Amino acid sequence: MLFSRVRGLPVVAPDATETGVVTSLAVDVDAGTVTHLRLRGRHRRETVLPWAAVHAVEPDAVLVHAHSPGPSDAPAPPHDLLGSRVLTDTGEARGTVLDAVFDPDTGRVLAVFTTLGTLSAELLLGLGDYALVVRATG
Amino acid sequence: MDELMTARSLTTRPVVTLGGDAVAQVKDTVFDAAAGRIVGFALSGRGLLSGSLGHRLPWSAVHCLGHDAVMIRSRRDPAGASPVPPDGEVLRDRVLGARLLTDSGTEVGTVLDVVVAGGRSGRVVGFRVDASKALVPGPRRRRRRVYVPRGEDLTVTGRALVLPGESVRVTEDLSGLGALAAGRPGCTP
Repeated sequence: MLFSRVRGLPVVAPDATETGVVTSLAVDVDAGTVTHLRLRGRHRRETVLPWAAVHAVEPDAVLVHAHSPGPSDAPAPPHDLLGSRVLTDTGEARGTVLDAVFDPDTGRVLAVFTTLGTLSAELLLGLGDYALVVRATG
Repeated sequence: MDELMTARSLTTRPVVTLGGDAVAQVKDTVFDAAAGRIVGFALSGRGLLSGSLGHRLPWSAVHCLGHDAVMIRSRRDPAGASPVPPDGEVLRDRVLGARLLTDSGTEVGTVLDVVVAGGRSGRVVGFRVDASKALVPGPRRRRRRVYVPRGEDLTVTGRALVLPGESVRVTEDLSGLGALAAGRPGCTP
């Protein structure tokens, strides 16, 4: 599933109450997984939902586990993958991130789409305040 | 063959960790006393106070010198990283404006910039030179800016850089300098 496809989806608790709308996904680039969903809740409050609390990502809603504590104010990794500048570990610019694909069952990041093409997830090295760093190929 | 770049173009290039955080930018490049390789960078800007790198970045902490960023392994100085030697030649202070001579005393010109190889070597490949009349004849206003390869046996005496031999090979563009200097492997092992 595309990161951009999840943005704007309502987050629904088991009792069918809507707790917020997904604004973005936070990733751990080392582990290659989605770690949190950033939400905008009631009164435009920013909260985060850990990936472990997600029961399922459906095409039109994100369902939360029955016994999860729900969204919290705990900080997620601060940097957004989408829109990030891309640099190789050899210091060459490689465009910017347009979108990324993840497995909605496991949260594993599968590939990153940039303005200059597709990068496989194994190439990702780090995501910081300046850039997504990827292993140089060829 | 590593990409060639001029030391002046390194100024303001961001210093970025492999984790993607920008910690500083390059203010100046520091060379060894023989003007043979980069020993480090003087830094400015971007979160200097939050990092522990201080205002100097030793070459040993550099992962790769790239076209768009100086990549470093981590925000902290790696253990055992040697500090930038205090007698290093800061580009702006010492190397720019130095006279370039042959060992027979013929003036080649004045150094305008230093050409270095990107990647992990930090090697000085040559110099961008305001050519002297002896080297490139003609009226002063038509005098040309040329690139001169450093070679292996350059010596530094005071404010002059002395090239061995009688003949000086020059080229008018950076790619030509790359052909004159010997190729070396890049960042990837």
